[in-house]
Amino acid sequence: MIFPHRIRTIYWKELIDILRDRRTLVAMVVVPIVLYPLLMLGSVQAVSHQTKSLEHEDLVLGVVDDGQRGILSSLIVADAEAIRSEAPAGEAPPDDENAPQPLAQEKIQVFASRDELEEAIRQRVVPVGVIFVEGLDVHRADLTHRVLIVADYEEPRGISASRRIQEMLRRTEERIRGDRLAGRGLPPSFVEPLDVATVDLSNPSSVLGAVLPLILVLMTITGAIYPAIDLTAGERERGTLETLMVCPVPVIDLIVGKFMVVTTVAVVGAALNLASVTATVYFGGFDRIIAARGEGLPLAQMAFILVALIPFAVFMSAIMIAVCSFARTFKEAQNYVTPVILAVLVPGGIAAFPATRLEGVMLVLPVGNMVALAKELLLGAAVPVWQMAIVIVSTSLYAAAAIAAAANIFGKESVVFADAGSWRGTFARARLRVADRPSPSLGLLLVAVLFPIWFFVQSTLSPAPGHDARGLLWGCAVAMPVLFALLPVLLLAFRKVRIAAALSLRMASTKDVLGATLIGASAWVVAHEVNVFQAQVLGVPQQVVESAAQLGQTLSAMPLVAVLLTIAVVPAVCEELLFRGLLLSSLLGSTGPWRAILVSAAVFAAYHFFFFKAAVTGGLGILLGYLCWRSRSIVPSMLAHLLHNALGALSAVRPEWFAWMDLPGDADPEGQWSHLPVRVIVVGLFVFVLGIVLIALRSSETRRTIRPAPAPTTA
Amino acid sequence: MDIVVADNLVKAFPAPDGGEKRAVDGVSFRVRAGTIYGLLGPNGAGKTTTLRLLSGLMAPTAGTAYVAGFDVATQPAEVKRVLGFLTANTGLYQRLTPRELLVYFARLHLLPSDAADARADELIASLGIADFARLRCGALSTGQKQRVNIARALVADPPVLIMDEPTLGLDVLSNRVILDVIRGQRDAGKTIILSTHYLDEAETMCDQIGLLHDGRLVAEGSLGALRAETGEQRLTNIFLKTIEAHEPAGAPSP
Repeated sequence: MIFPHRIRTIYWKELIDILRDRRTLVAMVVVPIVLYPLLMLGSVQAVSHQTKSLEHEDLVLGVVDDGQRGILSSLIVADAEAIRSEAPAGEAPPDDENAPQPLAQEKIQVFASRDELEEAIRQRVVPVGVIFVEGLDVHRADLTHRVLIVADYEEPRGISASRRIQEMLRRTEERIRGDRLAGRGLPPSFVEPLDVATVDLSNPSSVLGAVLPLILVLMTITGAIYPAIDLTAGERERGTLETLMVCPVPVIDLIVGKFMVVTTVAVVGAALNLASVTATVYFGGFDRIIAARGEGLPLAQMAFILVALIPFAVFMSAIMIAVCSFARTFKEAQNYVTPVILAVLVPGGIAAFPATRLEGVMLVLPVGNMVALAKELLLGAAVPVWQMAIVIVSTSLYAAAAIAAAANIFGKESVVFADAGSWRGTFARARLRVADRPSPSLGLLLVAVLFPIWFFVQSTLSPAPGHDARGLLWGCAVAMPVLFALLPVLLLAFRKVRIAAALSLRMASTKDVLGATLIGASAWVVAHEVNVFQAQVLGVPQQVVESAAQLGQTLSAMPLVAVLLTIAVVPAVCEELLFRGLLLSSLLGSTGPWRAILVSAAVFAAYHFFFFKAAVTGGLGILLGYLCWRSRSIVPSMLAHLLHNALGALSAVRPEWFAWMDLPGDADPEGQWSHLPVRVIVVGLFVFVLGIVLIALRSSETRRTIRPAPAPTTA
Repeated sequence: MDIVVADNLVKAFPAPDGGEKRAVDGVSFRVRAGTIYGLLGPNGAGKTTTLRLLSGLMAPTAGTAYVAGFDVATQPAEVKRVLGFLTANTGLYQRLTPRELLVYFARLHLLPSDAADARADELIASLGIADFARLRCGALSTGQKQRVNIARALVADPPVLIMDEPTLGLDVLSNRVILDVIRGQRDAGKTIILSTHYLDEAETMCDQIGLLHDGRLVAEGSLGALRAETGEQRLTNIFLKTIEAHEPAGAPSP
């Protein structure tokens, strides 16, 4: 069962509780269904009313002397007459917005100097000024007359007035040009050698694509805030938390149940918001304005947004629950939430920029990646599956870390009991007890924080197509020990966790070392066959083929020692320390071995980024996790990992060493994706199973049950 | 048989001056199964903190305590399973009805759905909750709320009950109902640790009494033994006399 009995009990109770609260209903239902449409209709009406009234307002035009006044008024009169005479015999429809609008009732105000005119415009006495720099003599064809239109182009009245004057002058210019060409018997093309036009291919939903994902972030956060505060700080403030903590319920169950309620309310609230906005835009007749190109609102894409909304809501709810878990009162929680919203808007805003694409670090940027994904989907871009997978996996990882952190905080004495001192003291190092295991939240938080950093390192170092991958190999060989080994060790030391115990740094029995050697020597056979099977079913992405070829070429050009160091030794040591050492150890403290192994393996697979490799890396993660848990030592999993990677690298750079096995790669360049010879498979599987049996055998040493040590707590 | 054993329990909180304050300072006592143990003391004596330590809500800074054989520091989940705890300032879920609340807590103790409903109905009948079982808890009076609270503590039928100030602020009638329930539980073989500062209540209810002062247990025994020790009849006088004897610094450890 995915959700145990207790979590379901908590979920339903909290859902009923929160839905019976008038404030929830107001925030979730009344605001979107009543307030948003009103606000939207109101503001759109106001803007369009203002624009219309400006268009028909009588203008006051500023000029600098009586001569210029004469020129301007004669142009206005001539233009009005021309429009009247050019109008078709039938009455033009009065509200045809494209018909030329003559200036008619304009007042022209004369100023003594240009300075005075400009000052009057700045003071908003007149909206616009017209200056004929060299006067105007329409009969002088040897001169281009310069006309300045002076206005405050930040001010709607100035913009509107300037536009109307410009249109009048453009019509006048066209007429003068036409007359001159006709006088010389020349066609209009004489002065129009080029007719430049732009063709706009932007999607009708461009405006939506840019704005909606960000609105979505806000809607989801808004929906999550109230229930998150009510279910955490509210519970504490009303004095029910202590009663709840007296029950034999693990804090993680409480937090997961509450988190699911917050997610539900956030999703339902955001869906109502979205439906309300869509309906308002659609039935209010604004869809053409918003969609810009007259094609209407893309209703089908709203479904996309709703789907993108769910991982979003999961992540935001987790963050909100974590933040509010710190708080002991409603007010305190509200204070914590505000900076979080601002912090969330930064990556969200960056992702909403039209130029931002879903690539590179944006794929793993919290919040940013979801906004960018929603945007790309709305713009109709084809988003590759692996990109969606990275976005969703990384978001889930961040959400899991936030939930774990919330569980860690929520049950703290200082949060449950007002009189147990400040929670600041809860995190003080001096109050930590020495422990043998890091807490699960520490493990999950570390891998969640390292994930985008590691992605950044990898994507920065990745070679351009056709280039050498040496930079990537050596870069990782330097970055891995720092990020995967040094950082965890420092963190453990800081949290007063015994490093050797936490990372399972102890020697393994001979039996386990032998088992791990057999597994490490044969796992490539299983991995190869899984890859071949997967390639036959799903095909091989071009990217995987290219990067494998690139890596192979680079490795062939490197000394053997360097190959083994960068491919086998460093990754085996560092990855084992992080995933089997710190992460698995932290999870084992709070959950059963299989769940802990599966979670650590999933994180291990996620860290390898290639969607295509997930089956093999995930399987390897389970295997190595099992080795470590069973032997209570990091040595067997390091050894198996090292052998596995080393054999893979050697088969690429020293194929002659493997000639006796008749591997398909020798004859066939595509051999990487064909089956191994049957005898290799049989022998390999036998050795593999033998290794697992050896590990699974209980020795007297491992028969003792391993009791999970308590996570570091403050007392 | 001693079902609750506290041995040299210490709980220190960080003090504002950067040091620490010991709310409970070396408290040891034993409670026999099937009896009522009264933990008495003035406000701030450390009663509530001691009870929170016993219930696994807080981890002791030092010392050990066992409830029904489970260590409160390392097995808090098991301790919570055998314990019903009525906290002093318990809030109820305002937007749930008493019945919903009882079913909820029964389900949290992993009772199956039918059994949870049955248990809730049983407690509603035996504690006189029926009249307001379907009102929202937010609309109940203090006495009604306290009955619901007691029912909540009894929901898993635990062998050990911890009652922190169960009659605080109640009228005479509600007071009587609650005390009758506590006696009924004792008669049914349950062990009860009762904290109160109504001394006459303790006089009539408790089989054993421990006097807490300033985080230390300054006297312990049956009412008869305490009377013999101090030469006073009324518990109030016994209490005052004992505390006065310990006022100077350096109280002996119990």
